[in-house]
Amino acid sequence: MAATPSYDTAVFMACAFSALFLPLFSFAVSLLISEKYSWLVTFTSPFLLLLSTLAAGVVLYSTWNQQPFTMTWNWFTVAGSTFAVGVFLNNISALMLLVVTLISFLVNSYSAGYMAGDPDLKRYFGMLGFFTFSMLGIVIADNLLLVFVFWELVGFSSFMLIGHWKEKSKAADAAKRAFIFNRVGDVGFLIGLMILWAHAESFNLITLSTSSEALSWKTAASLCIFCGVIGKSAQFPLFSWLPDAMEGPTPVSALIHAATMVAAGVFLLARVYFLFTPFALDFVALTGCITALLGAFAALAQNDIKKILAYSTISQLGFMVLAAGAGAPEAAMLHLVTHAFFKACLFLAAGAVIHALHQAQNQSHFPFDAQDIRHLGGLRKKLPFTFFVFIVSGSALSGLPFFSGFLSKDAILASLMVWKGTGFSWRWLIFGSAFVVSFTTVLYTFRLIWSVFQGEEKSTAHLSITEPPLSMRVPMTVLAIASLWIIVSPNPFDFSGWIYGGLRSNSEYLHISAISIASASWVLLALAFAYLIKGRTIRSSMLLNAFYVNSIYKIVVERPLFQLAEITARTDKKLIDGILHTAAYAQLIIANVAGWFDRAMIDGVVDDAAILAKGVGSFTRSFQGGKIQLYIFWAIFAVIIFIIWTLL
Amino acid sequence: MFPIAHFLYLGAFLFSAGLVIVIVKKNMIMVLLGIELMLNASNLNLVTFNQLYPDSIQGQMFALFVIIVAVSEAAVGLAIVIKVYHYYQTSVPDEINELKD
Amino acid sequence: MNIASFMFYFFEFAAASSAFALIFIRNVFYGALLLIICLLALAGIYVLAFAEFIAVAQILVYAGGILVVIIFGIMLTTKISGKPLVVEHMYELSGTLAGLSLLALLIYVISRETSFAERAVYQQQYDSVNRIGIDLMSEFVMPFEIGGILLLIALIGAAVTASTIKSK
Repeated sequence: MAATPSYDTAVFMACAFSALFLPLFSFAVSLLISEKYSWLVTFTSPFLLLLSTLAAGVVLYSTWNQQPFTMTWNWFTVAGSTFAVGVFLNNISALMLLVVTLISFLVNSYSAGYMAGDPDLKRYFGMLGFFTFSMLGIVIADNLLLVFVFWELVGFSSFMLIGHWKEKSKAADAAKRAFIFNRVGDVGFLIGLMILWAHAESFNLITLSTSSEALSWKTAASLCIFCGVIGKSAQFPLFSWLPDAMEGPTPVSALIHAATMVAAGVFLLARVYFLFTPFALDFVALTGCITALLGAFAALAQNDIKKILAYSTISQLGFMVLAAGAGAPEAAMLHLVTHAFFKACLFLAAGAVIHALHQAQNQSHFPFDAQDIRHLGGLRKKLPFTFFVFIVSGSALSGLPFFSGFLSKDAILASLMVWKGTGFSWRWLIFGSAFVVSFTTVLYTFRLIWSVFQGEEKSTAHLSITEPPLSMRVPMTVLAIASLWIIVSPNPFDFSGWIYGGLRSNSEYLHISAISIASASWVLLALAFAYLIKGRTIRSSMLLNAFYVNSIYKIVVERPLFQLAEITARTDKKLIDGILHTAAYAQLIIANVAGWFDRAMIDGVVDDAAILAKGVGSFTRSFQGGKIQLYIFWAIFAVIIFIIWTLL
Repeated sequence: MFPIAHFLYLGAFLFSAGLVIVIVKKNMIMVLLGIELMLNASNLNLVTFNQLYPDSIQGQMFALFVIIVAVSEAAVGLAIVIKVYHYYQTSVPDEINELKD
Repeated sequence: MNIASFMFYFFEFAAASSAFALIFIRNVFYGALLLIICLLALAGIYVLAFAEFIAVAQILVYAGGILVVIIFGIMLTTKISGKPLVVEHMYELSGTLAGLSLLALLIYVISRETSFAERAVYQQQYDSVNRIGIDLMSEFVMPFEIGGILLLIALIGAAVTASTIKSK
């Protein structure tokens, strides 16, 4: 790394901050624009995000393989402890900055087509901008407190966007569930922060990373922070909110619940990797492995096109967490980047299918669930472009050679290979299960594409289905191109290309050819197997319901909670209400007495005074009635009295 | 020649009657009539007391000027009555309470 | 009872009764006529009180001038409204109270005062008309001129006030 930055600091800072604040500006514009011109946001938001993306590109170009850029300001001081806000840009965060802004830009422009005609465009684009801002905040923040703040903001904007169609009760419920699940994880995060502060007296990432000794409190702190990751990245056991979150608009699913927000957990893992002790890492790896397996198998049985992708996302996130736990955060980050592109692409393609079918549905008034793959089939001829995009991004997901997913998966597998060691241990199991996940991934991806585009033509295929508009096709194209191997490295079989080299902090893990060959042949085998069993669906309600995790929650968490609530409600009614009622009655009696006193005594005096004043007033007023003759009368009257007075 | 008191009683009566008319009547012209009556009562007193001083004529002169003033008053008063009538469409002074606070 | 005292009490009765009737009369026009009777009776009393010039002025100015103006006023105001000339009463109690108390007070004061009752009332030594004419031009010339100006101003003022032409 260069000792001195080779870039113009002022320009660099301007770019970094415009990348950060332009989405916020987009949010403000979307909110402030008048209802009449709300269609304008479909132009302003993608444009601002494009500017942000360009700025992020400059930032990435400037910081890549350079000295990390840091800058801090004091935020506030409490009891002698100063809290700072700051920016910390190294390779990881600069790369993430570009990925987030780019995908956000693409999703924004995609949304311009997808959400056309939505009555609440302002809120939608506003929250997209706000989400992007919060996400970028996580990415570039230099201390964990700030990360936590943006972490919560991200959760909030995710809540808003999942529940965008708030009139749909399912969407509202899903938004609530996502929010609550995230809260559960965030409690852990917060406790972790407290532990950190108590021991290290700092939230700054750089300060924290310098102390390297492994201590027991670090284990505790890192595991607590990992709780936040579990919640945000939908790891086992807090993953079930992610499939439900698919109730939101599809571009939102692409941006938040596939590419960026859920990846924030993985990003955080990579960012605070130095905190994790070996024990904590083992725990992380185990969690990731379980999640990956669970998501992959659950995806096999799903029928909803978006739910398949959601479970696939869970599985891939588990894969990344597994890689991070296996001591290869750079492999996890690589997979994060590639996954962000191809999964966003898959979601957008799925959105295109849904969009097309929705339009067809609206024209034909033929009710069916446009997201259910059992109703779809043979759409290849109707939607050739979408089919092509699906093929490309699906191949990347499956990890076929010549696609980016293959390389990043290779990186993970290679790191696992080294990690498992030579002697047999439980790590072998995890290594094996990684292959199982890879195999299953091919199966469900193939099943998804086959049942939607190939297969027998269902009745829906005869509707007049048209390709999505240009504003949707362009982002898909860009993302499809980004799903090719070229984004990772020039050699389609060697992952240690330009990205990986920048992410790697040591040179421990290198390309292992055997893994590449094994992986490639394994994937092709899986593909052949998938073709053999094509059209068949595993009808397992256990898989369909993702191993009944939700039901277990219901039994383990919900029911005792409700019972507890009932018990407390009963005590509340009997005991506390009783006391309250007694107090209320006593108060009532006092109030009545006071009221009587008030009416009879105080009001009486006041009323009498008022009546007296009124009487005097009306009496004197009667002289002033404006009646001339009465004036004369009173004048004469006074004169007569005066005369009588003088006479007597 | 005639008892002074008889003149005075008549003047007192006329004045009182005028006062009652001024207070009681609801028509402004009637009120004016009442005022004329009161003026005449005062004139009567002036003329009457002038009898007590045969060498002077001031009482009668005063009565003359009272008549002059009464003429002016009647003319202006009637003009005002007519104007008020045009303005308020009423000649009832009770209904005109612009002097009210 | 000689003719003079008869005339005096006749005029007194006429003036008092017409004034009394004026209190109760409801018709403005009849009220004006009653006032004429009252004023004419007063003119007679003035003559008997050795004030011939005032009596003539009374007849000319009041009966001939003011009453004509009043009758014109009655005609003008009732013509517009078209309402009957009935005049309603109000504050009867206060009016009666004030009138009666004033009357009682005056009668009490007059009856208590006995000084001028004993004084003889003499026949005047001069011709009152002649005397007034001389005095108006000599002693009372200033009030006389002011009275003339007052009449002129009242004339103009009345004409301007009653005119329906708006001043620019």
